Order: sequence, then structure tokens, then C-alpha cells
Amino acid sequence: MKPSIEEIGSLLALKRHERPEEGYFDDFLREFHQRRRAEEARNRGLKGWWKDASAWLGERLTSKWAYGAGLAYAAVMAAFLLSAPSGEQVGNLPATNVGHEIRSVEPIQVEQLQSLDLRPSSEGSTGEQEF
Amino acid sequence: MPDDSLQPDPDEDLVARARSGDTRAFDALILKYGEKLYGLVYNMTSHKEDTHDLLQDIFAKAYHSLPRFRGHSSFYTWIYQIAVNMTLNFLKKRKRRGGGLSLNEMDSAVQQDPALVDSSHLANPEKQSKLHELQKRLNEAMMGLSEAHRTVVTMFDIQGVPHAEIARILKVSEGTVRSRLHYAHIHLQSQLQDYWE
Repeated sequence: MKPSIEEIGSLLALKRHERPEEGYFDDFLREFHQRRRAEEARNRGLKGWWKDASAWLGERLTSKWAYGAGLAYAAVMAAFLLSAPSGEQVGNLPATNVGHEIRSVEPIQVEQLQSLDLRPSSEGSTGEQEF
Repeated sequence: MPDDSLQPDPDEDLVARARSGDTRAFDALILKYGEKLYGLVYNMTSHKEDTHDLLQDIFAKAYHSLPRFRGHSSFYTWIYQIAVNMTLNFLKKRKRRGGGLSLNEMDSAVQQDPALVDSSHLANPEKQSKLHELQKRLNEAMMGLSEAHRTVVTMFDIQGVPHAEIARILKVSEGTVRSRLHYAHIHLQSQLQDYWE
């Protein structure tokens, strides 16, 4: 047999009397404030840590310009080191053609050589070496 | 249940004092609404320890959110909304963690129910035992409802919150509230028919 909707309602209404035991909310309030104080202390701890860290950094960096310049230098160096190819990469790079030209030179005739003065001379011009 | 549209918030003074850091004023709000919210959370979770932890979290959230409470609704509607949302989120997480509760974990709380420890029933142990069994089945049937249906049954049938207020708290239409209630009652009827004489 099915209970009617009204009977279901009455049965559910009985659950209105389900309550926590006597004194429950006294303990509840105590725990609530313990948790609240613990959380506030934790938050204060984090804020305090951040304050100390900021002060420490402030003492060591005399000016914001020095800090900025240091950061910029570090960034440039890091970019250079990261972009430069490694030794292994260089070995694998494709060879590129170098532009060059071979010019033909007329052979020197013996007569021309004879006309040259090849004797060691003490009359060398400035910069010439004497033998 | 305060009607937001007709009267000013009776908790206006306590809320203002709590917002300015008066913890005693917030204690008074906990004592005023704690029992009602306990009933809401307990009937939705059917677990005492979960109810206790959730209730602590609900009041902690309300305490920290108090500066953002603009008074567009009564304090009671506002904290009820926090309680419903947090309980529904908790139930979703509990389900994801590995299903709901086993029947052993489920508290029937019948021993603490003064309506069941009625002197006329005590005189008849057989009747008392049957009523306990029925209450246990009712709890099980409640846990068989979806969270959305259990919420409206808890608020309407157990806590006596009017349809319009439930609609406002859950941010759904009154028609949706009535339809969920109708479906939930039919489900409970069919679940309890074997135990009903």
C-alpha cells in the first residue's frame, strides 16, 4: 500500500525535530573562533613574510635604475646564449659558397727576368733588408 | 522565514555590528540560524560529521563575505543561499570521490527525534520499532533523490520554507520548485510503499 502525499508530508515533518545534542552550539562557537584566529594568524604570517622579503630586496638594490640595468643586461646575455648555435649545430650547418675569381696571369719572359737587378745591394731603399 | 519584499531585515543591526568587527554580534547570528542551517545540511548529507564541518565552513564563508553583503536580500536568505550552494558542491565532490554513503555511514538520528520518543509510542515497543524502521527507510529514500529534488523536499517539507522563498534562494521559478516537489513525493511514495501499512 502506498502512503498518500499528505502522509509523506507528515512523515517528513517529523524530521523537523532532528536537532544536534544539547550544548552543541557552545562547542561549535568555540571551534569557529579557534579556526578564525588560526586563519588570521596564517594570513598575517604570509603578509609578514612578503613584507620582510620586500625590505630585504630594497636594502640590496640601491636604486631602481641599477635593478633595471641589471635585469636588462641579464636578459640580453640570456637571449645571446640561447640564440647562439652549439658546436654540434655548427658542424651540421650547410656549407655556403664563397665568391671568388681565378684570373689568368701572363707568364714572365726570361728577358724580363734578366733585366731585373737581383743582386744583394747595400743601397736598398727604406725598408728593404740587406743580406 | 523573513519575507524580503515586505519587511526590513530583522538582522540589520546584528549584521552591521558584525561587519564592523563585533564577533559577539556574529555569534548571535550563528545561534539564531545555526539550528535551521544544521537541519538543512544534515537532511541533505545524512551525515553528522560532514554536517558539522560544512556548517563551520558555511559560517566562515559568511563571516569573510560579510563586507560584500549589500543587503539586497535578508541576511537569512543570503546565508541560506551560501549553505545550499556549499552543500550542493560538497555533495558533488563526495559523489566524485567514490559514490555517496553506505547505509552504515548514514545517520538515521531517530534516537534523538523527540517525536519518535513519544510516551504513547514508548508504551508500544512494536509500534516504536516500526516507526524507527520507517524513518530509516525514509532517510534512505531521501538519499535516493537527486540533490536538486532533495534540496526542495528538505526546504519545503522539513523546514517549512514557502515555495516563493525556495525559488528565490535556488534562483529558479516557482513552477520548477513545485514540479521538483511533485516528482520527489512520487519517488518517496514508491520507495516507502513496502513499509507502509
